[in-house]
Amino acid sequence: MNNFHFFPNRLSAKVSAALAITALVPMLSQAQNSMPTLSNPNVSVILDGYYQSEDRLMTERAEGFGLGETELALSANIDDMFYGKFTSVFESHDGESEVHLEEAFIQTMALPNGFTVRGGRFLSDIGYLNNQHSHTDSFTSRPSAYRAFLGGHYFDDGLRVSYIAPTDTYWLMGAEVFSGDSLRAADEHGERDFDSTGVYTAFTKIGGDIGVESSWQLGFSYLRNENGQLTAEDHDEDEHEEEEHAEDEHDHAHSASYTGKNTYAADFVFKWAPNGNYKYQHLTLSAEYFRVSDFMLPELHDEHEEEHEHEEEHHDEGHAKDYHEAWYVSGVYQFSPNWSAGLRYGELDSQLQHEEHFDQQELKETELSLAWHNSHFSTVRLEFSHQSNVGFEQAENDNVITLQYVMSLGAHGAHQF
Amino acid sequence: MLLLYNTLCLWGLTVRINFKLIISGVLFTLSSNAFAQFNIFTCEPEYAALAKELAPDARIYSATTAMQDPHQVQARPSLIAKMRQADLVVCAGAELEVGWLPMLQMKAANAKVRNTDLGLFFAADHVETLDKMSNVDRSMGDVHSQGNPHLHFSPPRILAIAKALTEKLIQLDSDNSRDYQQQLERFSSRWTLASAKWQETASKLSGMKVIAYHSSFRYLFDFSGIEQVADLEPKPGLPPTSGHLAGLLKQANNSDITAIVIASYQDKRGANWLAEKSNLPVIVLPLSVGGNEQSNDLFSLYDNVLSLLSQEYSAKKL
Repeated sequence: MNNFHFFPNRLSAKVSAALAITALVPMLSQAQNSMPTLSNPNVSVILDGYYQSEDRLMTERAEGFGLGETELALSANIDDMFYGKFTSVFESHDGESEVHLEEAFIQTMALPNGFTVRGGRFLSDIGYLNNQHSHTDSFTSRPSAYRAFLGGHYFDDGLRVSYIAPTDTYWLMGAEVFSGDSLRAADEHGERDFDSTGVYTAFTKIGGDIGVESSWQLGFSYLRNENGQLTAEDHDEDEHEEEEHAEDEHDHAHSASYTGKNTYAADFVFKWAPNGNYKYQHLTLSAEYFRVSDFMLPELHDEHEEEHEHEEEHHDEGHAKDYHEAWYVSGVYQFSPNWSAGLRYGELDSQLQHEEHFDQQELKETELSLAWHNSHFSTVRLEFSHQSNVGFEQAENDNVITLQYVMSLGAHGAHQF
Repeated sequence: MLLLYNTLCLWGLTVRINFKLIISGVLFTLSSNAFAQFNIFTCEPEYAALAKELAPDARIYSATTAMQDPHQVQARPSLIAKMRQADLVVCAGAELEVGWLPMLQMKAANAKVRNTDLGLFFAADHVETLDKMSNVDRSMGDVHSQGNPHLHFSPPRILAIAKALTEKLIQLDSDNSRDYQQQLERFSSRWTLASAKWQETASKLSGMKVIAYHSSFRYLFDFSGIEQVADLEPKPGLPPTSGHLAGLLKQANNSDITAIVIASYQDKRGANWLAEKSNLPVIVLPLSVGGNEQSNDLFSLYDNVLSLLSQEYSAKKL
């Protein structure tokens, strides 16, 4: 397993959390008294707690009270060449606590010609939201595209090389190699021979300003997953049931619910502020599209095709596609330093393996969030979300209300665009 | 797949082998490009204006304008692209840009501007800042333990910064050291002359009492003997609240305050409300060069700011 899961053993999670915090207390006080310098690491803690009225599909947050991504991060320049960051995350939901390591990476700071190399465990730079920490999000949960295809956000052990061109228009290119454990396809018998280096990505981002008030960024990403294809499922009903339970647990394990060999993504972000002054009002519009294809092994694919033709002859329904896709659009407006509101709509169109054929699933979500910011460091958010789905286990329309706080203490790292 | 992996590995290996080659290549390009334009990235427009005085031939880009809050800047793509190409980055320092500069540096992957030994210059490193604090707590608002970073309204400090910046320019671009030296001499004599004039105008402002927004003009008030008796912000960085404004109104009615002073980027609503209730005038001062039509460089910025304040103060005295 890629993550350090201590659940369901709640006690050990608490003990290790307590140990980690005790160890860091002297560091925290040190960081407060003197400036974070080259030799003195930045220590930051993000506190995230919530109450959610219902369960939501594929989210890390569960019904009732819980803790979201409560993170403890340490970062510093190691020397004149390397920067290092460590982020551990504590979560608690459904009476289960877990601790996992989200980031533990080193990055070069002084390679010539705009090259950067990052190694260790880090957030992949594919898509727009993926490399952002969830505490900077304007909604309580990631869009369904991220929850379905990347397990919320995709972090993994690997290596990244990126290059930024010396042009007035921002142009970034990068490639990553990861172990890919959390993006492996379901393996019901545990006998599958997975590649130990399973995920390769390539991405590019371009961006710039339009006048003084507006900025934009456009990105394209590709992810190749050697272990993403499904094998034929066993026909035994009992085992099938078991497998579904296993999938349920996956929801909290940051693993992708749907995987495939090839994933393509496109993202666009536009930001605006009057006079380019972000202190009082600003608007962020963003949209992303994901398509996951080749999710079946070839032999299974043929069966699927046959089944498909067969079905078409006899019924007009059950028209399953041979790819998953998802997209969302979101708009967030901060109308005063204390208040911001966001609206997001997203759709997920996926195919669920069911014995020998695939059933089409559809999930539509609309989210409206209202946030109050007492300062730059504290946010209380109320979110209403409406979901309607077809083909999922809990096939029903749902309205979910979430009340959440996200606050940061200690050094507060700079935000990304 | 193995093939792709191998290619990646091979590629990584090639990069390592050619590392020295690349470095010497860069050095060669740098020296052969001695005539190429020197690229200066500044965090605030006042340092772009200063750089223009000291290195008029350089290509200068300011990350912010006088209409923007320098505390809250997006680490946006255009800024990353500009910093990627910079030979020198000039910022106020004292933590003013702590919320965005480190992110830009990390994303721009420009080794030349990594630290202050190289092409990074913090103005606050070269002068004494006011209001340093030994113990800073977030409950105090957005305060900086290294002192007030809005340094540019202090004539002697600007002169000291100009000297230090010239040294940095010479360190990075030694081929043109004579030009930089000459520009500094020219700037120093003009600045000294203008400072004497400003000192005279400022001395007449001594004793003026104002309510201001944030500590944006701390150095200007220090230089001219103006007293900021209250702040529109309840705590540094927090916007004015109605309760706080009501308190200010009481204060405004009970003392001899001349005006409410705000900077060009700051929200006018709180100031306007207070002005209406208390019959005090609102003076919108340019935060920096470009903050109004009259402020085109550092000299005209000082002229304009002092004349705006003098007008109100002499009107009040009449």
